[in-house]
Amino acid sequence: MNSIEALVTRLPNDIGGLPADRIDWQDHELLPWEKRCHALADVLDFRKIINTEEKRRGVEALGSELIGKLSYYERWILCFAIILFQKQILTPEEVARRIDEVRKEFESEQSANP
Amino acid sequence: MNQDHESDIAHLHAHGEPREGEESPPQFFELLEMAIRGLLVERGLIGANEIRRQIEVLDSRNPALGAAVVARAWVDPDFKERLLKDGRRACEDFGISFYDDTDLIVLENTDEVHNLIVCTLCSCYPRPVLGLPPDWYKLRPYRARAVREPRAVLKEFGTTIPDHVEIRVSDSTAVVRFLVLPKRPEGTEAWGESELASLVTRDTMIGVALPRVLNEEISQ
Repeated sequence: MNSIEALVTRLPNDIGGLPADRIDWQDHELLPWEKRCHALADVLDFRKIINTEEKRRGVEALGSELIGKLSYYERWILCFAIILFQKQILTPEEVARRIDEVRKEFESEQSANP
Repeated sequence: MNQDHESDIAHLHAHGEPREGEESPPQFFELLEMAIRGLLVERGLIGANEIRRQIEVLDSRNPALGAAVVARAWVDPDFKERLLKDGRRACEDFGISFYDDTDLIVLENTDEVHNLIVCTLCSCYPRPVLGLPPDWYKLRPYRARAVREPRAVLKEFGTTIPDHVEIRVSDSTAVVRFLVLPKRPEGTEAWGESELASLVTRDTMIGVALPRVLNEEISQ
């Protein structure tokens, strides 16, 4: 099977049974934002905004290149953004604006307490 | 708060580069998380305290809960029967709440069958009873290989299952989660429930390890 064919016949998450490396036991404690992201996923599920299966498919829809480059919770938060846009709950513009605002807040805090 | 701060400094970012303390400006994905959460709270779609409360719930879950369930099943045949019949119900009756819409199927290891759990598609895991999964459970090598060469995978964990014992691998989904009920080790007949629970680690309930009793523990 050539690589294009493999991309078509197996979605990025569908890796059961494929050859892979040895298991690496290195573990990491979740960063505070990663834990918030996990809690956000649970709350979005409780509130029937995004359920677990939608999240899984949302990650898959990022495509194999992004999946390969992003960390676990980076994939989650990015797919939440995309699904919320698709459901017209949030718009890309307001998220971009909010990111700018938060970034500026941090910058001004930093310049106030160098 | 302090704990968060410490873990922030002490641990590596998932990509492997050291992450500085909370004073360092948040990077893109962290900003995205803050932006989405802030906007959803502003719209009244989620409560401001809901995230914080859910973090507390997540922090309250760890493998000790699953270990207590296993130890109870080892000493109480009626409980074991109920646990194998309806894992979620039995755990709830035992006092472990399920905060998600998942079913729990408990798989009993016997002399003939050894069970192993995996989520080949992502990282589904019995979180209400075990807490969050280790990184290796979420990464490609375990997910890809557990279903194809479970004995080789188990060997990497230092676990050898005799050839005459069937290895059964169960693949989790968004709504169906599994927990392995390991075999009670020989020589523990006189042990109490909490002593027994101390033998039951996270990995024994995933199925990649077996409960171990040190010889000194038996003779004492």
